[in-house]
Amino acid sequence: MAKVDAIEYGDKKVYSVASFNRGVADWLTRLPTVWVEGEVTELRRNARWQSVFFTLKDPSDGACLGVTILRSRFDALRLDLGDGERVHVLGRPELYEARGDFRFRALSIERFGIGDHLAALERLKRKLADEGLFAAERKRPLPRLPERIGLITGNDAAAKRDVLTTIVARLPAARVLVAETYVQGPLAAPAMIDALRDLCASPGVDVVVLARGGGSFEDLLPFSDERLVRAVAACPIPIVSAVGHEQDTPLCDLAADVRASTPTAAGRLVVPDAVELRERLERARAGLGRGAAATVVRARQRVDHAHERLRRAPALTIERRRARVEQSAARLRALSPRATLERGYAIVRRDDAVVRSVTSVDSGDALEVELSDGRIGARAE
Amino acid sequence: MSTQSFEDAQRELERIVERLERGESELDDAIKLWERGEELYRYCVSKLDSAQGKIEELARRVESSRP
Repeated sequence: MAKVDAIEYGDKKVYSVASFNRGVADWLTRLPTVWVEGEVTELRRNARWQSVFFTLKDPSDGACLGVTILRSRFDALRLDLGDGERVHVLGRPELYEARGDFRFRALSIERFGIGDHLAALERLKRKLADEGLFAAERKRPLPRLPERIGLITGNDAAAKRDVLTTIVARLPAARVLVAETYVQGPLAAPAMIDALRDLCASPGVDVVVLARGGGSFEDLLPFSDERLVRAVAACPIPIVSAVGHEQDTPLCDLAADVRASTPTAAGRLVVPDAVELRERLERARAGLGRGAAATVVRARQRVDHAHERLRRAPALTIERRRARVEQSAARLRALSPRATLERGYAIVRRDDAVVRSVTSVDSGDALEVELSDGRIGARAE
Repeated sequence: MSTQSFEDAQRELERIVERLERGESELDDAIKLWERGEELYRYCVSKLDSAQGKIEELARRVESSRP
């Protein structure tokens, strides 16, 4: 450690500012070189300055770190950095002695590439999926005729226009409460969370649409911000996410109750078509009339049928009795001797008395023989 | 009735129509169902007619609208 001179005041050792700063600065040089991740903000580069300055900000809680890098080194990296870009910075802490400012002396900067973003998103997606935030059984149905629709969107955004135009065209009576907010950049996620909370607290709002048109991968990153995704999953009101185009799937799409491929599609999802709705009601009403009428007709038919049977009952009784008489007569006829005669037997009479024995006939007696089809005279021998 | 949501009313109306069309209900029930259905129909139509279309901007708190 460098020698730092203190001035003695009695038993107190007092350092000058310069010597204190030098001491701290010297101590800081013992810390190792590390990579730090954050978002670039307040980037200041001036051709007359030896160094380039910017602030590295932690996107999750806004913690800040001042960074300085030699201009020649910065320019050699050819990064063309802009505010809000996520980077990895290699460097070590140092104290700017003249001002006592603590800062990070950068040796190199790497842009947080799409690959890094994708890997981070994939990790977050797996984590939230494991927690069940995207589970199908968490999805709630949307109200068929919403009382009031909450819309979160950027100001003057095409997405806002698309949603509103579609809603009003389908259901002119729709009531929409619009919350304009940031939809890209580092402020977007917290601003959208605020808007979501405010909409949910507004009277009558029973469905929320989160809409943003297409944009670059980085533009849509706030819609995969863990804080926003959790807020969407925890939203007490059914929520439709319509972010970017069909091929974009930010994580808030997975956490929402319904995912719409575009803001226009979201408009179609949240309100029914008033014309169709009326037609459906009219059809139901017509069915109601028909159904009731058919029930009355069926009831009348049952009564008529019963009446008809009642009317025919006496005639039926007589018919049934007549049939029984006929049946008896037929059986009676079957028992008569004629049937026997038809089989070849004959009845022999003498003096109109039936002859039952040869002993009752003398030779020369006149007899009468009855056959099935008539009588003939005969004489005994 | 007044606390019923539009979709509940519409669903009930359509269930009543189905029951009537199946023709399993007694005459007295059928008439009651029909009356209830008409009531539901009028309620749904009035819901559609009475809603006032309106697009409002949410008044945002100052701190959340500042960059």
